[in-house]
Amino acid sequence: MGNEAAAAAAEAEHAKEIIHYLAQDVAPGVTIHMQTMYMTWISMIILILLFIFASKNAKLIPSGLQNVMEFFVEFIEGQVSGSLGEKGRKAMLSFFVSLFMFILVSNELGMLPQVGVHWTSPTNDINTCFALSLTVAIGVYVVGVATNGISHFKHFISPSAAFLPLHLLDEFTKPLTMALRLFGNILAGEILLIVLYQLAPWIVPELWVMFSLFIGFLQAFIFTMLSLGSFEKIYVHH
Amino acid sequence: MVNINATLIAQVINFLFLVFVLAKYAYKPLAKMMEERRNKIASDLESAEKARTDAEAIQKEYADKLAAARQEAAAIIEEARRTAQAAQDKAVADTRAEQESIIAAAKAAIASDKKAAMDDVRNQAVELAIAAAGKIIGQKLGTDEDKKMAGEIVDSLMSK
Repeated sequence: MGNEAAAAAAEAEHAKEIIHYLAQDVAPGVTIHMQTMYMTWISMIILILLFIFASKNAKLIPSGLQNVMEFFVEFIEGQVSGSLGEKGRKAMLSFFVSLFMFILVSNELGMLPQVGVHWTSPTNDINTCFALSLTVAIGVYVVGVATNGISHFKHFISPSAAFLPLHLLDEFTKPLTMALRLFGNILAGEILLIVLYQLAPWIVPELWVMFSLFIGFLQAFIFTMLSLGSFEKIYVHH
Repeated sequence: MVNINATLIAQVINFLFLVFVLAKYAYKPLAKMMEERRNKIASDLESAEKARTDAEAIQKEYADKLAAARQEAAAIIEEARRTAQAAQDKAVADTRAEQESIIAAAKAAIASDKKAAMDDVRNQAVELAIAAAGKIIGQKLGTDEDKKMAGEIVDSLMSK
C-alpha cells in the first residue's frame, strides 16, 4: 500500500518534470541517470567520429572537417600555451581539447529539437558537472605531484603561510562553483526552451536556441579557462 | 532534480575514457599534421628569409659593381680628357715655339742680309768716294788712312 503510494507519487513527479533523467537502480543503492548516460555516450561517439573523420587523410593544407576541427584545436591550443607555456601545452593540450569539445558538444546536444528523442545535454545533470570539475581538481593534484613532486603543495603557502586558509577554501569552492555554473546555465537553458515551445511554438524558441547555442559555447569556454587557471600553478611559478 | 548519485562516478569514467580515446586515436594524427604544418611554415619562412637576404646581398653586390664601374668609367674619361688636354697644350706650345724660331731665323736672316747689303753699300760708297775724291784732287788715293777717313765720312752720312 505504502509502496504503491510512493510509486504513484514518483509517477506524478515524473509527469510534472520536463527534463527526465531516467533514474535507474542498476544495483541495490546504486542509482544511475540513464538519460545522462545515453546522451554522454552520444556526445562521446559524435566527438570520436568527428576527430577520426577529421584525422583521416589529414592533409597539410586542411579543408572541410579537418579545417573545422583544427580551428577548435588551435583555439584551445592558443589558450593552453598562453596559460601553461610550452611544457604545459605538450602535456595537457589533449586533455583540454577533450574537455572543451566534450562540454561544447554536450551543451549543444540539448538544443536539438525534441522530435522522437528526448534530447538533453549531459551537462544538465549535476553529476556530469561535478564529475568534470572534480576530474579537473583531482587532476591538478595528480599532474602537479607528477610534474613537481612534493613541492607542488608549496602553492598552498604562497605568497605566505597566512594564505593557507584561503587556498584551502579555494580548493573546495572552485570545483563547486565551476560545476554549478555549468549545470545552472545548461539546465536553465533547456527548461526555458521547452517552456517556450509550450508558450509560443514559433520563432521565439528558435531565437532562444540561437542564444543557447552561444551560451553553450561560452560555458564550455569558461569551464575550460577556469580549469586552465587551476593547472597554471603547476607550470607557472611566481 | 539535484540528485548526486553513482552517475557522478560513471561520468568521471566516461570522461577519462573519452580523453584517453581522443588523445590516443583521434586527436594524435590531427595534432601530428598540425605540428608538421607548423614546422613546414617555419622552415618555409626561414628559407624565404634566406632567399630574401641572398637577393639583397646579390643586389648590393651588383650595386657595388655598378658604382665601381661607373667610377672607373669616370676615371677613364678624366684620364682621356687630361691626355687630350696635354697633347693639345703640347701641340700649341710646339707650334708656338716653332713659329717663334722660324720668325727668329727669318729676322736673323733679314738682319744679316741687311747688314751684308749695308756693308756692301758702305764699301762701294767708300770706294766711290775715294775714286771721286782722287779724280777731284788728281792723285791716286788708296792708303789705309784714306780709306779710314772716307769710311768715317760715309758712316756719318749713312747714319743720318
